[in-house]
Amino acid sequence: MLLGIDVGGTFTDGVIFAQGEVIARVKQPTDERNIKQSLWSALDELLLKVDKDDIERVVLSTTLITNLLATGQGEPTALIMIPGYGMPYGEYNICEDTFFVRGFMDFRGREIENIDQDEVRDVLREITKRQIHRAAVVGKFSNRNHIQETMIKNIAKSDFPELDIYISSEVACRLNFPRRAVTTFYTAMILKEWNRFADEIETVFKQRHWNGRVEILKADGGTMTLDASRLQPCETAFSGPAAGNMGALALAGEAVNSVVLDIGGTTADISLLIEGKPLYASKGAKIDGRFTHINSLAVKSVPLGGDSVLSPDGDPLIRAYRLGPAACFGGDRPTVIDAFNVAFDLGIGNAAASYEKISRLGEQSGKPVQEVSRNVTDQVVLKLRAEITAMFREWEQEPAYKVWEVVNRKKFTLQRIIGIGAAAEAIIPLLAKDMGIDYLYHKYSPVANGLGAALVRPTIAVEVHIDTQSQKYSVNPQGHFGVIEKNSRFGLEKAKALALECLKNAAADRGLAHMTPQAQYYMEEQFNIVRGWDTAGKIFDIGIVIAPGFVEQFQGVIK
Amino acid sequence: MKPTGILFFPAFDWAISPTHPEREERLLYTRDQLFEEGIMDLPGIKEYQSRMATEKDISRTHFCVPDVESRITKAHLVSAGSALVLADAFMRKEVKNAFAIIRPPGHHAMTVSHGNRGFCDINNEAIMVEYLRQHYGLKKIAIVDTDVHHGDGTQEIFYHDPDILFISFHQDGRTLYPGSGFMEELGGPLAYGTTINIPLDPGTGDYGIHYILDNLVLPVLEEFKPELVINSAGQDNHFSDPLANMNFTAQGYAILNQKLAPDIAVLEGGYSVETALPYVNMGIIMAMAGIDFSNLQEPGYKKENQSVAARETGSLDRIVKTQLRNFRSREEKVADNRKTGQTFFSYNRNIFYDTDYIHEEQKLNLRLCQNCGGYRSLSSAARQSDGAYYKIYAVNIPIYACEKCQAEGMELYRQMAESGKYDYIYLQDHPRDKFHAFNVKLLQEKVY
Ligand SMILES: [Zn+2]
Ligand SMILES: [Zn+2]
Repeated sequence: MLLGIDVGGTFTDGVIFAQGEVIARVKQPTDERNIKQSLWSALDELLLKVDKDDIERVVLSTTLITNLLATGQGEPTALIMIPGYGMPYGEYNICEDTFFVRGFMDFRGREIENIDQDEVRDVLREITKRQIHRAAVVGKFSNRNHIQETMIKNIAKSDFPELDIYISSEVACRLNFPRRAVTTFYTAMILKEWNRFADEIETVFKQRHWNGRVEILKADGGTMTLDASRLQPCETAFSGPAAGNMGALALAGEAVNSVVLDIGGTTADISLLIEGKPLYASKGAKIDGRFTHINSLAVKSVPLGGDSVLSPDGDPLIRAYRLGPAACFGGDRPTVIDAFNVAFDLGIGNAAASYEKISRLGEQSGKPVQEVSRNVTDQVVLKLRAEITAMFREWEQEPAYKVWEVVNRKKFTLQRIIGIGAAAEAIIPLLAKDMGIDYLYHKYSPVANGLGAALVRPTIAVEVHIDTQSQKYSVNPQGHFGVIEKNSRFGLEKAKALALECLKNAAADRGLAHMTPQAQYYMEEQFNIVRGWDTAGKIFDIGIVIAPGFVEQFQGVIK
Repeated sequence: MKPTGILFFPAFDWAISPTHPEREERLLYTRDQLFEEGIMDLPGIKEYQSRMATEKDISRTHFCVPDVESRITKAHLVSAGSALVLADAFMRKEVKNAFAIIRPPGHHAMTVSHGNRGFCDINNEAIMVEYLRQHYGLKKIAIVDTDVHHGDGTQEIFYHDPDILFISFHQDGRTLYPGSGFMEELGGPLAYGTTINIPLDPGTGDYGIHYILDNLVLPVLEEFKPELVINSAGQDNHFSDPLANMNFTAQGYAILNQKLAPDIAVLEGGYSVETALPYVNMGIIMAMAGIDFSNLQEPGYKKENQSVAARETGSLDRIVKTQLRNFRSREEKVADNRKTGQTFFSYNRNIFYDTDYIHEEQKLNLRLCQNCGGYRSLSSAARQSDGAYYKIYAVNIPIYACEKCQAEGMELYRQMAESGKYDYIYLQDHPRDKFHAFNVKLLQEKVY
């Protein structure tokens, strides 16, 4: 049995899944002021329904970190940057307590200018004087050589032991200095809080006498162990859409190009499944308007939900907010769902109430009830269709850097809409008809988020940058730096073998050694370093991943 | 404020040969630098995606022998297409200006393409100019070639075109490939003064280039009043470039682009792949996007290397005076050339393709029209690198051609197609945007 719970902004849903079926489910409103309480009450409700010893694994997805990041609540944190030459420092407007120190590294990891230890000490002293006990240290090109970041960490360790230092080469080791800075800064800021929560999770399960495997859902649609999350808590943010998207994929069963439409009360969240894989945001998740290195799904949130209010003056007819439930569920205002109810005779809830509110709306504008309701449903379809089309276009516009990629660019054809969320059932049939494609609304669609959490497997990705001229390599995201022997025949095969080795180590560190056979290469780049007219070495960028997918036990949902 | 458009197409899977300067690695460190700086994440930057230029886009500028399909690689089509993507973005007012960081480069490619010359097969800027004139009705365009090598391909393509101002500054042709670009090369008889060459002494640094810019290039642009300014943005004036001997810095390049304020910049040469390109490309982007670049500096930069020799200013002043005079007398000169009583202006020349070792023999005829810039025709013969020998005849009717020139040019195309003296006959019919290629042996005509 697999248990998954997603604590979303509006609803908390959870399932227990076994032998192709959801054997227990829970869906309840989330108490936004007490997310943990919502989580534990959903858990306890589920545990009542089965023998807990049959549960093999629990996966949790919460908005805890997302909310912490959104509100900026965390420990006071300083940011020390080593920007060297390039962009003006004014661009790095990330937090109030930002300090810049001397030092300059280039793209090959060569130290062009050293750090000044006295200057570093002055900065660390100033930080402690401000009563700040944690600092993120981020150097430009520290992903190619971490020595300057490490030196600052060591100075702090010996001279300012009360200060906790987090260095970017250990948090997010990919190119993009501002994103590394933002990611490291937020990691430093929320790490303590997340670890307190991780402790609580352990206690809760201990109290319930269950000692199986607990995993945390990540923004990329995979899981990580609770232990691994203690070091990289930012990856647990934005997991909700990933849960829904993967839940939809589980329901779809086959790898067709689909749009996943999660229509709740106030918003419709759009995400894509392309050839059976979730589409990622090309620039990483955004926190407080800034890009990060958190790998997350591309999600577009449209302020249009089932409970969006219809206004009598008709301009615009559909308002971008909710004022309580739909009339058919006892609300006192006409909503989008009421219009669908009337236009297509759906018989949702108290259909007479829908009819009454929509006719009143018609009277106010002098139009018959059918015309008013069809007007609303047409507008909803038009709006959603436009947003979906725009999202595809954006995806198709992603830049390519190789001739082969431009010449062989794929044209995307959408085959299906998968509806999840409370209001999807009413809306997607019309939308699918309008777009001339299939749709799927499954009986498990209302708990798709919990289902996604329950079923997904762990993911892990490793990128290795190898420079055979300088005989060095670096590994993202572990921040591991290594040396290779001088060997003129270090070719692509050796580079791939090294990347696989790095992935195995990373997987073992995260308790995922058993999954390494499922690893796939997703990037294999090699460049000759030519000096004069001779080849002086090679540069390789190799990416290898255990991609999002489902645990082995999952063999599909029984139809 | 609208963003600056960037199209970064490093062609990571294309090289002339594995150790050639024009190889996969060329923009690798530029990628590292741009990505590490987070340039593409900035709200003031909009990144664009490449597309392939069509055969028609290419045929608007070049006579590819025997045809576009067999002469031009996919890499070149993507590179040229990338410039067109930015041309569209600029004309649709999506961006305030745009920079195509693309390879393969193009500014040594001439009208007729038998192969690769100076690392170039087709001319990205020229293809973009013809595209802009055809699709957006632009008339007057200026191209400022800031590559260290003379932009001889671009010069040749627009040498007889009075509407395209071509300005090139470069290391003196007596000391560097391609050995041309002297001050006497001022444009054809009906386009005199719209080609301006500025040969600079080896060792010229930031000061010298800015002196030329302030005193010659900017005043000439001001007087010509182009509707669009293109920077043919080579980066091999940099002090670390292995193929040339100039002394320009990344800061110098940034200030150059700030002053020149090109609407569209297109990367050309620059082969100091580690020490110059990452920083120069940053400098150009920062200048175009209006980002403060005072913190930009490349490793190895030394302020004392930028001191100015007295000799330098003297020769610069002479260039400025001569070329301003030449430019300002252009209308008078063109009027005189029309009074000679001749109907045609013609010359023979040999063109050498250094990369592919091709010798092309060419004869050019320009109609000395009283009403327009005249149509031109040329015959060309060359043995290409695969051993095939081609003799071709080509007619170019420019977009501004008068009725008489149009009619004569089309008649000439028909006559030559029947003459049996050539393997292929080509016609660029710009006023109708139709491009013909006639295979004489097979009696087949292809029209784009
Ligand atoms: Zn050049
Ligand atoms: Zn004429």
